[in-house]
Amino acid sequence: MKKLMCHLVAGYPTMELSYQAAMGMVEGGASYLEVQFPFSDPTADGPRIQEACVQALEGGFTLQEGFQMVRNLSKTYPEVPIFLMSYASLVFRRGISWFLDQAKEAGVKGLIVPDLPFDQDEGYYEAAWERGLHPVSVIVPTMEANRLHQLQKLLESHGEEFVYVALRTGITGDPTNLSDENLTFLRSLKARGLKLLAGFGISTSAQVEALSPYVEAVVVGSYLVGIIRDAISTLKGSNLERGVSLKRAVNRAVSTLIQPD
Amino acid sequence: MRVQPSADRLSKQEVGERQSPLRGFFGSFGGRYVAEVLRKPLDELEQAFLSIVPSKEFQAEYQEKLKSFVGRPTPLYYAENTTRRLGGGRLYIKLEGLAATGAHKINNALGQGLLARRMGKKRVIAETGAGQHGVAVAAVCAHLGIPCRVYMGEVDMMRQKPNVFWMERYGAEVVGVSSGSRTLKDAVNEALRDWASHPDDTFYILGSALGPAPYPDMVRTFQSIIGRETKEQLAALGLEPTALIACVGGGSNAIGFFSPYLYPEGWQAGQVEKSGQRAVGSSDTVNTQRHLSAFPSIGPRLIGVEAGGRGPGKGQHAARMSGEGKVGIVQGYKSRFLLDEDGQVLPTHSVSAGLDYPGIGPELAYLGDMGRIEFTTATDKEAIEAMDFFARTEGILFALESAHGGAAALRLLPSFSNEDVVVVNMSGRGDKDLFITARELDRERWKEFLQREVASLGDSL
Ligand SMILES: Cc1ncc(COP(=O)(O)O)c(C=O)c1O
Repeated sequence: MKKLMCHLVAGYPTMELSYQAAMGMVEGGASYLEVQFPFSDPTADGPRIQEACVQALEGGFTLQEGFQMVRNLSKTYPEVPIFLMSYASLVFRRGISWFLDQAKEAGVKGLIVPDLPFDQDEGYYEAAWERGLHPVSVIVPTMEANRLHQLQKLLESHGEEFVYVALRTGITGDPTNLSDENLTFLRSLKARGLKLLAGFGISTSAQVEALSPYVEAVVVGSYLVGIIRDAISTLKGSNLERGVSLKRAVNRAVSTLIQPD
Repeated sequence: MRVQPSADRLSKQEVGERQSPLRGFFGSFGGRYVAEVLRKPLDELEQAFLSIVPSKEFQAEYQEKLKSFVGRPTPLYYAENTTRRLGGGRLYIKLEGLAATGAHKINNALGQGLLARRMGKKRVIAETGAGQHGVAVAAVCAHLGIPCRVYMGEVDMMRQKPNVFWMERYGAEVVGVSSGSRTLKDAVNEALRDWASHPDDTFYILGSALGPAPYPDMVRTFQSIIGRETKEQLAALGLEPTALIACVGGGSNAIGFFSPYLYPEGWQAGQVEKSGQRAVGSSDTVNTQRHLSAFPSIGPRLIGVEAGGRGPGKGQHAARMSGEGKVGIVQGYKSRFLLDEDGQVLPTHSVSAGLDYPGIGPELAYLGDMGRIEFTTATDKEAIEAMDFFARTEGILFALESAHGGAAALRLLPSFSNEDVVVVNMSGRGDKDLFITARELDRERWKEFLQREVASLGDSL
């Protein structure tokens, strides 16, 4: 079974069109959605996602609109869990409890906040668990064994299974060559009883195929942002027509990753 | 008397084990809020900092190069003409801008560069705003023979062109950053991204007392030479300072200059800490207590001067402590930042690229919230006027960043009495600002000059 977690930036290229892109992802076969709320200073992201964030913010993205979009998506597709990705600044600004309450109410299943690691989290992990949300840690191949152990103990004590595995160092967007080491690492994590969301630099159905035996879902991010970017340069006609063609382009890209032509 | 930079003064305390029971925190500020990929290189850096920097061998090498390469000690100058003209307190100027490459930045660049070499790193990266940190890092890397790449926002490259040129002369590769506001904060983002992609062989020399731990402690440690020297120079004159004044971008010259006076005698780590670091965070519930009044003497007034820019409007200044800075987590540390309601970082403005940054080092924010450090602002116009004033009155040329401190000194001096000793840190020299100050102060003749230059370039083709 090949499962994809498809990533998009809320508000890119506009609120309306990002919603259409999300629909295209679900209709193309996405099992999970990762909705990124754009931040002005996305230090873990490469140029493609940075540009999408800049454009979304220039278009006036607000948290209120972001949560509204997620709420609509979770109502329309209750079978597709939504994970919300953002940075500490947005989660922290009005208070972590406030942010998590909004997320919960909007139907979010879990959150990925790379700059709130489990041991420097301002109470975010506990607060998420209290609300039945999944705080998703990011695991990298260079993580020290005892730190990984520490994390695993924390997750176990809360029955948390979801983790995000970055397949290499660096930032989003650069291509990743999957190695035996990657697969060995994933196998060992899976053996610990973790549900892996694994990604960084995934852009081909061959990569999806290679990862699938080990993971809960393969995360595809910058590649799909690129699909959206290329599609919008050719969009024509009314808002409705533009939405339909964007949805179709995204649908095609996602279904090709799952089931190559 | 010649002041010897002395190795033995750098105690364990000064490498950052004092203010908080949690290492890397100042009250609830500071920390290491980074993506997992940066965790290991930061842990390694902290280990190296704590074990190598206090060692005899490192200190011997560092102190020797501070003399022979940087040109320390920098003078403490009595601004007699200004004192006579304004009345009030006696003004002294710490001429930190006379250090090699024209600013205090070299103290830190050299310290971190030597640490990079001892850690066996093959490559150095840095961010720069005004270009002063970049120039210092480039010079240090040339001196140490380490390849160096400097990230600089495209807006800053335009307004600090001479420094781009000098960095390249020192052999550095200067990479323009076109994302975000294309200024200092974006250069920091890009350096963090580079480091995340090359965590093993690369040393990131951060230029101000901010970022994830251990940078705030490390940068203060390397800049503390400014304060120690000033204290000894004053003591040699039989003086005690009444007030110290410094400009604050990220805060490295200020925290280094203030360092001997930050914490009152008898201060205990943990005394004013909030309990429960793991309490659910919110920027609106942070309420640092002011226990400092419990101490009989807290030492000289410490005054930090932020960029007032064009005035109080949104995006017009970089006043985090004296403006409406909010508690937030950005670029790996918790401090006060200029943020909107959603937590997005707001644009900033200052005539001086070095102060044009939306955050402030966590220790300064902590000490500000406690009332130990006072914050004020100087506008673009006041800074330029102060630069001009000191050039004419004292024969001393302030960098525009430092001139913010100079402007505050001119404003405050009359409120002191004539026994009072006020010391302002001239963190940098103004030479680098030629293209900004000339167009502000001598526009027509400067334009003619540039036109002639352009024409003569054409002739020689
Ligand atoms: C001369 C000078 N002073 C001050 C600053 C501001 O930095 P900090 O607040 O870290 O001293 C800069 C930064 O570029 C500078 O070049």
